Amino acid sequence: MAVLAPPPEPVVAAAATGGWRRRLSGRRTRFGLLNATPVVVYLLVLFVYPIFSTLLLSLKDEDGGFTLHWYADALSGTSLDILLITLRISAETSAISLVVGFLLAYWITRLRPIWAGLVMLVVVVPHFISALVRTYGWIILLGDHGLVNETLVALHVPGAPFQLLYNELGVVIGTTSVMLPYTVLLLYAVMRGVDRGLIAAAASMGAGRLVTFFRVYLPLVAPGLVNAGILSFILCLGYYLTPALMGGPKQTMVASLIDEQVMKNNQWNGASALGVILLLLTFAGLLSLRLVKSVSEAAKNRGGA
Amino acid sequence: MIGLRDSVAGRLVLGVISLLVLVFLGLPIVLILVTSFGSDALGSFPPESWTLTWYQQLFADGSKWPAALALSATVAALTTVFSVVLGMMAAIALVRSDLPLRSAVYGLVLAPLVIPQVVVALGLFLLFEPAAMLGSPIAIALGHTVLATPIAVMILMATLKGIDERLEDAAASMGAGRLTIARRITFPLAAPGVIAAAIFSFITSFDEFFISQFLSSVDTITLPVQVFNVLQFDVDPSVTAVAALLIAVALVALGLVALLRRFGTGKQGGLLPVETGVPAGGEPK
Repeated sequence: MAVLAPPPEPVVAAAATGGWRRRLSGRRTRFGLLNATPVVVYLLVLFVYPIFSTLLLSLKDEDGGFTLHWYADALSGTSLDILLITLRISAETSAISLVVGFLLAYWITRLRPIWAGLVMLVVVVPHFISALVRTYGWIILLGDHGLVNETLVALHVPGAPFQLLYNELGVVIGTTSVMLPYTVLLLYAVMRGVDRGLIAAAASMGAGRLVTFFRVYLPLVAPGLVNAGILSFILCLGYYLTPALMGGPKQTMVASLIDEQVMKNNQWNGASALGVILLLLTFAGLLSLRLVKSVSEAAKNRGGA
Repeated sequence: MIGLRDSVAGRLVLGVISLLVLVFLGLPIVLILVTSFGSDALGSFPPESWTLTWYQQLFADGSKWPAALALSATVAALTTVFSVVLGMMAAIALVRSDLPLRSAVYGLVLAPLVIPQVVVALGLFLLFEPAAMLGSPIAIALGHTVLATPIAVMILMATLKGIDERLEDAAASMGAGRLTIARRITFPLAAPGVIAAAIFSFITSFDEFFISQFLSSVDTITLPVQVFNVLQFDVDPSVTAVAALLIAVALVALGLVALLRRFGTGKQGGLLPVETGVPAGGEPK
């Protein structure tokens, strides 16, 4: 017995260190390290370090000492208004994208495969076309004499032509059209994964259309909806192009403010503080995404739907 | 779907809404393509008469577009080389090896997709400004590579996962050396994925705006930055033709990827970054 069961602790420790050494000296491991090093070094130098230096700059005053006053500036006055506008426009855009995207994705799941493929093409192709170009298309469409207003006038819609550009409506229309393909792609992937057997089962046990939809279908796709909503919200937060081109002075978003601080006012510290705030908001979004994921997985493991 | 027995009316409403949404997505693109050939490049639709003037103006004497196009193409080519090389090595490490801290490396590689681009652009500005590298095509390409690499990695990982490693084992068992296996088996199987990764890297860089905006100088302005400047400050009707060209480049690129899928070898899952299940994007280009 004594021979077969030596004192446990030293063995474990030896195995652990030996394991590590063996792992690091294994051929497949060395091969992996060799191949992973360039990309890791690259991203550390050109991605992590720059963001880190932004953080440092946002905490430095004119003489190089520590200060929080850039954050105080960023969270007061016009700058605070711009932050709130950014949050509001992002919320509006992601909510509309979510509702419209849900309807479209749901419709696609019910089409015959060949039609579904064609419709997905109409969704995917714009996703890969420059947002700048699509925004320009909307500027032409929504102008006072653009196609939309001309059509409304021709239909004798009361009040037409409307002011559709350089206000919040214009920004939300433009930004939604940029975010929508992304939302549809995320939602479609989730909806396609829904087990139709469950829905058939609900129907076979006498659940009506609405009950099946709200009690079975919606809970099944809910994590995907939250996921898509939060991701598009995060993407909107730092978005620049469409709000800058389609909004008026009252629709300035944080990214535009950062651009202005750097390019016009040469105010790098202030811009860095705004960047860090944007980064923190993004992390908060990603964290809540994680949370939702673990909660929904816990629910699944309990067997509750 | 069997259980969701929608009423005919419900189905009709859903169908009409969905078609309207498709028009909403497609209309701006179609409009640009059509008006770029119209006599009134900034307005009426459909155009009253057709013309190629705007395209001819692009290459007229004194036009600033050719220089912007050349710069964008150069930067995109550099970005493609950087991100495909880095992406291929990263994909090999992530798929084909026992990498310590694998999930940390994977997370780092994908992080640029979710970090706001303005933050990345600002950081790069702070890095390159003291080095007096603003306006250098290399600096812009190095910045674009941060965004293009995650996309290349996703495509190449899917490609490598789709290759049956037993084919390589079989070649090895029949006496092929490692180089021969790489040259004769692995590379031909991976080629469609590598080309797709190259195409998407190119497009990512070619359409990228924000990093270019922060890293450009007065005399190095990429095509998207030039388009943005015209839209914000000038009136230049030939910008419609440039926009149409940008659409054409994206369509050609997507067409090439579609062809690769058709003629590529058997299992070529995930040539589109959106198909690999990882959220594609970051800020849309």
